[in-house]
Amino acid sequence: MEEQNNSGAANPEAQPPAAQPAPAAPVPVPAAAKPGTALWLKIIAGLYALSLVAAFFVINKADAARKAKPGDMDLSKLTSLGAAKKDAVAVIPLYGAISQGASSRSWERGSQQIAKRIKTLAAKKEVKAIVLDINSPGGTVGAVQEIYSAILKAKAETKKPFIARFGEVSASGGYYVAAACDQIMSHPGTITGSIGVIFSVGNFEGLMKKVGYRSEVIKSGKFKDIGSPSREMTAEEHKLLQAMIDDSYDQFVKAVSDGRKMPVDQVKVLADGRIYTGRQAKELKLVDSLGDLQDAIDKAGELGGLGKNPRVLTDSDPFENFLSLLDTKLSFFGSKSVTETLEIAPSLEYRWYGR
Amino acid sequence: MNPFTALETIIQRPELLAAGERPAGLGRAGLLGYFAGTLGLFVFLRMFSAVPPGIMSFSVVLTLVLALNYFAASSVHLFMDFTGAKGSAARLFLAFGCTDYFLALLVPAAFFAKLQFLSAFLWFTICFLVMVYARVRLVRRLYPVSVNKALLSLCLPYAGLGAVCFTVFVYSIAWMVWLII
Repeated sequence: MEEQNNSGAANPEAQPPAAQPAPAAPVPVPAAAKPGTALWLKIIAGLYALSLVAAFFVINKADAARKAKPGDMDLSKLTSLGAAKKDAVAVIPLYGAISQGASSRSWERGSQQIAKRIKTLAAKKEVKAIVLDINSPGGTVGAVQEIYSAILKAKAETKKPFIARFGEVSASGGYYVAAACDQIMSHPGTITGSIGVIFSVGNFEGLMKKVGYRSEVIKSGKFKDIGSPSREMTAEEHKLLQAMIDDSYDQFVKAVSDGRKMPVDQVKVLADGRIYTGRQAKELKLVDSLGDLQDAIDKAGELGGLGKNPRVLTDSDPFENFLSLLDTKLSFFGSKSVTETLEIAPSLEYRWYGR
Repeated sequence: MNPFTALETIIQRPELLAAGERPAGLGRAGLLGYFAGTLGLFVFLRMFSAVPPGIMSFSVVLTLVLALNYFAASSVHLFMDFTGAKGSAARLFLAFGCTDYFLALLVPAAFFAKLQFLSAFLWFTICFLVMVYARVRLVRRLYPVSVNKALLSLCLPYAGLGAVCFTVFVYSIAWMVWLII
């Protein structure tokens, strides 16, 4: 329309008188819509709708056939094949000193995370037996008992066999945890035993006097600063701590007695804190058999009905490993671990300090 | 104006896209184009079990198509604006919707692919290229630019996304190496 107006305004002298419009003047007229286009568009739309209907029909048929497939086929052989391939023995590593984690981060290796892993893996259908790969000198009483309790609960709930496998060292708390398992396997030279409880506290009183440091303690009761490193321990405190240690010791002895099906008196004879080699421990019935990790996995496979050399399922989660790596890198190049070491407070421990 | 009439007008008189006033019915025709094209794409993918069934699944695909086209239209418009070509971004987005009608061809194409007449990938490529060709034509209607520049502007969003993905990938690898060492 603009072009029409412009062309009109460009040649005013060529305009004929108002009464007589020039019949010969070239006036660009918008191209009239071809009637065929609309028709073609409607035909295409109709074909599109038709093909959509046909496609939906085909898709529905295919979906229905796919849904009906499992019912029509005899999958018993396939299912058993799949199940045999899927079933596995889970291996849970328990390395280093056992302690409650400093946080609830799932990638940390605190006792609560290990207890959770035991529970999770035991609940998995495909896991038929669990191997605890222990290489630990023990740890704090509470942390050790948390793992011990998780094993007992998992065993009671799932009836799955637990095998403890000892590495280089599995003493004190490491043995406490193993006592909850159905079988214990160790190397002949593994250091084990050390059944007992320890509470140790340093005394920095002399050092503090030398450097001129004195701590003032205001307390609500006479035992409130029991185990303080800034003064000598009193006889009364010693007696009280000994009572605690005796009680924890009895718990340890009972755990070993229950787990190894040995009379308490017999355990007490062995439980004077001494360490044993794997072979000595086998002779004393503290260990069932001698062997390595593969032997332990084979044993677990047999007890779980999978035979020798079963499929192994490790509890490592790649995402958690990645987060753990990230956490280590971002913790200021290890300064965190230094802080954690300095923050260690005296506590009751099922631990062997020989390492 | 119903979308058919609007589409008919755009086919017969594409120069109206660049006119002072927006052609009547372009909005409806463009959005219907996105819907019809995405439905065609979705049915094509469903026939090869590449996407889950259901309205939600279709909605996700539609949202993705709209978002990608929105990004593409804005990038093309930005590029044109920087290089001195004037036009309307909203019209470009709706014009892209009109080219999406070609994706409806994927529905019969799926049947042909199922009948082993050319592979599904080839059918998809053909439809995609037809759509790109139509887009180049429409971009040239909306902005007074050459074919090469129109093609370049259409490739720009994909190139940008590719560059971002590549940078993220390379940086991730470097970061992983830093984590491990």
